[in-house]
Amino acid sequence: MDKQEKDFDAAPSELLIPTEDITPPAAGVVRTPSPEIEGIREAPRSLSPFQESLKRLKRDKRAIICVGTFLFLIVLAIVGPPIYQRIGGIYPSDLEGPIGPGVYHQYYHQELSQQDQLPSARYWLGTDDVGRDILARLMQGLLISLAVAFLVEVVDVGLGLLVGLLAGFYGGWVDQFLARFTDLMFAFPSLLFSILLVGVFGSSANAFFSKIPIFGDSGNARLLVVSGALAFTTWPLMARYVRGQTLQLREQQFIEAARASGTSDFRVITRHILPNLFSIVFIASTLNIASTIIGEAGISLLGLGVTDPGSSLGLMISEALPLTDSNPWEVLVPTIILTIIVLAVSFLGDSLRDAFDPRSRR
Amino acid sequence: MFHFLVRRFIGAIFVVMGVSFITFVIGYFTPIDPIRQMMGQHYTYASWLVLRHQYGLDLPWYQQYYNFLVHFAHFDLRSIHSQDRLVLDILKDGVPISAELASWGLALTLLLGIPAGVISAVKANTWIDTSNMILALILYALPSFIIAVFAQVIIVWLNVHTGSSWPVANWGTPWHYTWSDLQYKIVPIVVYAGAGYAYFARLARTSMLEVLNQDYIRTARAKGLVEHVVIYTHALRNALVPLITSIGLAIGLLIVGSLFIERIFNIQGIAQITINAVIGGDYPVIQVTAMLSALGIVLGNLLSDVLYTIVDPRIKLS
Repeated sequence: MDKQEKDFDAAPSELLIPTEDITPPAAGVVRTPSPEIEGIREAPRSLSPFQESLKRLKRDKRAIICVGTFLFLIVLAIVGPPIYQRIGGIYPSDLEGPIGPGVYHQYYHQELSQQDQLPSARYWLGTDDVGRDILARLMQGLLISLAVAFLVEVVDVGLGLLVGLLAGFYGGWVDQFLARFTDLMFAFPSLLFSILLVGVFGSSANAFFSKIPIFGDSGNARLLVVSGALAFTTWPLMARYVRGQTLQLREQQFIEAARASGTSDFRVITRHILPNLFSIVFIASTLNIASTIIGEAGISLLGLGVTDPGSSLGLMISEALPLTDSNPWEVLVPTIILTIIVLAVSFLGDSLRDAFDPRSRR
Repeated sequence: MFHFLVRRFIGAIFVVMGVSFITFVIGYFTPIDPIRQMMGQHYTYASWLVLRHQYGLDLPWYQQYYNFLVHFAHFDLRSIHSQDRLVLDILKDGVPISAELASWGLALTLLLGIPAGVISAVKANTWIDTSNMILALILYALPSFIIAVFAQVIIVWLNVHTGSSWPVANWGTPWHYTWSDLQYKIVPIVVYAGAGYAYFARLARTSMLEVLNQDYIRTARAKGLVEHVVIYTHALRNALVPLITSIGLAIGLLIVGSLFIERIFNIQGIAQITINAVIGGDYPVIQVTAMLSALGIVLGNLLSDVLYTIVDPRIKLS
């Protein structure tokens, strides 16, 4: 495989160097619109590959359901808490006197006389073992899951694209570095690595970030470490995908044509290669969202992620586990939500692959 | 073959050393102070200094790493917590349990997964195939801890409704199989198998379908062979080749332990030991377990390469 790629590297560069000398006049010729091109423009436009993929995606019922579910969960996580905190009557609390839903529907409020309740009009999904509202904690946990997924995806796509493009387009030491680095990362169990990073740096990050107002005192500061650890273990794979695709694209005729007409490397990368990487990056990152959400929940489940006043789906499962015998409801709710979100995202990833890359089908 | 094995072993040693070094670096720069944690409320600065010196944590990093390697090579590395126990003894507690869970789990996975995939491929696009593949797709997407939680809730539900008292968590005596041991072990093993089942069923189906479309299968049918001979002697043996790679890797992972299943079912295997060490900042234990995991993965890869040449003699290792 390696040898083949090297042969590939050698041949076209020899071909390309002389043609670049002839390019300036050629570029001028192409710019003047010929009558033939005008004629083509008037004909009914055929769909671009991207539009065709979208059309295929829209025909896929499963994909539409998954997109709907995913969007619903996002909206629930963002809009849900403020609405939920306005619904419900005054509750005469033992410790704090009469309190409204703005207080007892907060994810960290403990109502000690209302422990382990089943769903009711006041607590729509019941309460946990210290009297916190499960629905409120669920929505907060969803927000955490989605925020981590988003952060990780930003880093993953950013780093993966950058390194993958450089490695694929230029080769050289970037390529070597990527190859060695991915080899090492594949030998290192990625979950164990994230756990190590989080376990080691989690508590000090908590102390450090609690000075920043947004992260504050709710135990969410470890999120950044969790995201960092997850992103660190996932980006090499993305970089590999991008590298492979770039290697293929680089040898295609339209790139050769662009180079022949004197296009700079930067422009070739941004205008000709990058758009063609869209589908592979899109598919890979969607599939990766599922594993990131699982990873965050798993790390919190092991007691290394979000800590107690905060909430996360994994933390909710972890706290409800000792009560499975007596109150299976409490462990069931976060698990079901996690199941729904994971299935929705992975099925969506599968559908995207079918729609955007029809050749890979089965 | 011999040269290949030697080279791979040397490579494996480098990878494992690399992993140990990375874990060491992470541990060296960690803000967690294991001595401080161990002393708890008995902390005084003077005794902190003494203990720190005693464990060699005040040495420069290269000496600490060197000491680690020397102790590691002499098998007398000691844990910082848990009364200075030998790391080797701690591993002896955890590895058998994890290995037991994983070997039965893997056996069940293969016994169920491969036949299911083969049947799916033979009956492709019938209701058997569709329902099997939907099941596999769902199991494949879900992490093991979700399956484990569902299994636990089902046990609780059954306990309530049938009045039995099937245990929800914990593990019996390792490698003993009385009825009460079995009660503890069956559910975690089934959950472990469920996670792998999906992977092997999907892989077996794909690879079997590919083989069934080959020309020599058509030839076998054309010369009038009975269908089960075509499938089991001609197709299956060839379809197994890609599966072997995954089996080799899975065997390597036997000693690594499964974090989530051990956590959910409260099994004191190697993964739980790792987690506890991470939380307590017990670096000797962390380093050794990380090296063990890396070793498992590397050996698994090696094993799958070797198995490959056994199944398909055309492949030469070099």
